[in-house]
Amino acid sequence: MIKSLFTIASLCFSLLFTPSVLADKAFKVCADPLHPPYSLKDGSGFENDIAALFAKRLNLPLEFTWFPQRIGFIRNTLRAPLVNNKGYKCDVVMGVPTGYDLALTTKPYYHSSYVLVIAKGRDWDDISSPEQLANVSEKRLDNLKIAMFDRGPGTTWLHRNGLTDQGIPYQTMTGDNENNTAMMISKDLRAGKIDMVILWGPMAGYVLEDGGANNYNVIPLKSNAGMKFDFSISMAVRYGDRTRQEQLEKLIDENAEKIQSIIQSYNIPLLPIPEYTPQDDD
Amino acid sequence: MKMPVKSWLIATTVATCLAAPAISTANSNLDRLSKDAKNWSMWGGNYHGTRYSKLNQINTNNVSELQPAWTFSTGVLRGHEGGPIVVNDTVYIHTPFPNTVYAIDQATQSVIWEYTPKQDADVTIPVMCCDTVNRGLAYGDGKIFLQQSDTVLTALDAKTGKRIWSVQNGDPKLGMTNTNSPVVVNDKVLTGISGGEFGVRGFLAAYDINTGQLAWKGYSMGPDSDTLINANSTTTWANGKVTKVGANSSTKTWEGDQWKIGGGTTWGWYSFDPKLNLVYYGSGNPSTWNPVQRPGDNKWSMSLWARDADTGEVKWVYQMTPHDEWDFDGINEVPLVDQKINGKMRKTIVHFDRNGIGYTLDRVTGELLVAETFDKAVNWVSEVDMHTGRPTVVDEFSTEYHGEDENTEGVCPAALGSKNQQPVSYSPQTGYFYISGNHVCMDYEPFEVSYTAGQPYVGATLSMYPAGVDATTGRKNGSTNLGVFTAWDATTGEIVWSNDEPFSVWSGSVATAGGLVFYGTLEGYLKAVDAKTGRELYKFKTPSGIIGNVNTWSYKGKQYVGVLSGVGGWAGIGMAAGIDDGTDASNTEGLGAVGAYRSLSAYTKLGGVFTVFALPGHH
Repeated sequence: MIKSLFTIASLCFSLLFTPSVLADKAFKVCADPLHPPYSLKDGSGFENDIAALFAKRLNLPLEFTWFPQRIGFIRNTLRAPLVNNKGYKCDVVMGVPTGYDLALTTKPYYHSSYVLVIAKGRDWDDISSPEQLANVSEKRLDNLKIAMFDRGPGTTWLHRNGLTDQGIPYQTMTGDNENNTAMMISKDLRAGKIDMVILWGPMAGYVLEDGGANNYNVIPLKSNAGMKFDFSISMAVRYGDRTRQEQLEKLIDENAEKIQSIIQSYNIPLLPIPEYTPQDDD
Repeated sequence: MKMPVKSWLIATTVATCLAAPAISTANSNLDRLSKDAKNWSMWGGNYHGTRYSKLNQINTNNVSELQPAWTFSTGVLRGHEGGPIVVNDTVYIHTPFPNTVYAIDQATQSVIWEYTPKQDADVTIPVMCCDTVNRGLAYGDGKIFLQQSDTVLTALDAKTGKRIWSVQNGDPKLGMTNTNSPVVVNDKVLTGISGGEFGVRGFLAAYDINTGQLAWKGYSMGPDSDTLINANSTTTWANGKVTKVGANSSTKTWEGDQWKIGGGTTWGWYSFDPKLNLVYYGSGNPSTWNPVQRPGDNKWSMSLWARDADTGEVKWVYQMTPHDEWDFDGINEVPLVDQKINGKMRKTIVHFDRNGIGYTLDRVTGELLVAETFDKAVNWVSEVDMHTGRPTVVDEFSTEYHGEDENTEGVCPAALGSKNQQPVSYSPQTGYFYISGNHVCMDYEPFEVSYTAGQPYVGATLSMYPAGVDATTGRKNGSTNLGVFTAWDATTGEIVWSNDEPFSVWSGSVATAGGLVFYGTLEGYLKAVDAKTGRELYKFKTPSGIIGNVNTWSYKGKQYVGVLSGVGGWAGIGMAAGIDDGTDASNTEGLGAVGAYRSLSAYTKLGGVFTVFALPGHH
């Protein structure tokens, strides 16, 4: 009921204000204030760059609502009503997996993969495939220092290859407002606390940028039955906010090349975007 | 010099007092305070956590005349768990974040002092998974103990509200927060930790009540030096007998170093047996979300614990749900009751777990005596094998058995448990326990793409809905109630009676010598039922949904019943945090709790109010 009212409201707006489609006074983005390489409070990060591009195309000022990307993110940003109950704190999340069920997602705008990042010069320079790592001798295993996250497919891979005992567990989310996961991994890789990590593409991009791309070997992991390593990423709006979804998809199409070059400038491994089936509205 | 013997005697007495002053003061004072029914001096009413009051002025004959005597707004909107503490005629109440404490003068119903700690909302609130609740205060040695959300434990002067000391119990930057009520035991104040979703490794910590200095800290998992398990003396229930756990009983049930972010947090309620000098509590779920990724029993997550109050050393430990696949967080309260089992008086500990099983154990030895489901909707387990102490898991409802390729449908209970944190009460008059319950099942759907802190992965979605069966028989009846209020005989493991409630009962009950049991409902009713039959004798709609505990005390010869209303917490998270936008898809982010509770907003709105009830006139 509430949703259908909201949809009707959006439609009315779209009829009344055709030039900008939505009667927005700003392009309002929900973002993490410390989440390199995605977004930082100083406006840097590839998601912020794309947000700035879109705001410019829409001729609207760019506004942010900052909240850390973890349990409660959507609840405290995209779905958090303003105090006066007129609208929400922000309208767009720049990056979520395509088909993410907490929000309505757009068509994907990039596709990346988990990669195995290995620090060079630590006796692992000969490793050029995940299979090779899975089959190293017992003796070499003793020296294996590989980071392991809760939930991620990297942990499942370690488990299936009998390497859980070698995994050094890391929190998937930190509670730290001065240090996030990618920063922590990069620091520990440089300090030699870990020699390698299976990391999601954009975060791997940050590690390469932070520690010098020449200091790491990057090996892609290929999805197979029961283990998915590559994912498409979309933007997200509230369920029911079809008008905004369409607006974003138009912007994604019109700026496809520019978007790819922004993402590439962050060292992020990209794959071709696979065919996309739109998500049902709830 | 002329009376050496006497001086020597005095000297010895002084020395004894100096050596162990607080053991005799705080403890015996609190014990004395809790035995005087005019006080409600700790969360459970007494050390044994039975939530029973000897007051009988309000009773089955006159409770229909009960009426609100006074009310007090807390000024805070989020979920209000826990209940009032009443000591020496002063009422102490607390709020969710920002954790304001009010000391209220009952004569004038006005604020004597208030205290709001300084906490960084930007750091603390994003770390609290399921609303910013707090489960209340502890009193001891003239101090009020406040366990703040940001993990700081603070001692306040009970008379003035002046801060005496504070100690950092954990690090919010590592995802640690606190929601629990502390407990004063001997010369120490005990507290735990929350943050399982962040991989926080749970612990119980004891701090000196006078200085805040850490006395001991026992972790839920890790090497024996961390858990304070003594390989030579700590026991568990196995092979049909009380058995020594042996060396490193925890780490050998994990692969590699996973125990370091192993969870087993300790955000529930703690009880104490002064004669045995043992503290009791439950530990939570293992933190790695995907059970496939953490092979093994994952000890000692999901366990009941008995620790020596002075040293923290583990006397016994019992794991209820080895290798949890359902998030049946084992932190629920552990009332201590002496009762006759198979004709023999036993010192027992009773526990109603999220997993739907009511356990009775010998609290001296940890011997497993009774383990039966207290809501017959429960289907993930066919029985607890009394010989091994392990649940016999029903494959059909095992998410891991089905693997990551298949939905697991109709699992009962849902992840929020047949019962959540809201504590039970026990009446020695009837010999029954009174359980505030959830009557909710879930589907577990893998394949959903999830996203945590910037990393996509294939996760699972939970959807929750009414159990649709009779809670006493398990027979399908098409019912739509989400809650039950149940009386239970812990000596046999049988349901005595059970009342349906439209919503989960998220309020802790209190039993009284007036033959009554009081509890609150999510729509906001304060209810009184007949302890023997469950017949409803009184109800009153408070300003907001109740997730707080009902407590009772007396002042100037008159019995009062008080409760905090203020909907929120896990059940109300959609309302408290504004996520329920009416779509099916707003179901998931409160860990799956919102969808089933959607219609709640037709009954009640947010807002913390303390309501105090009494009989009219002079009694």
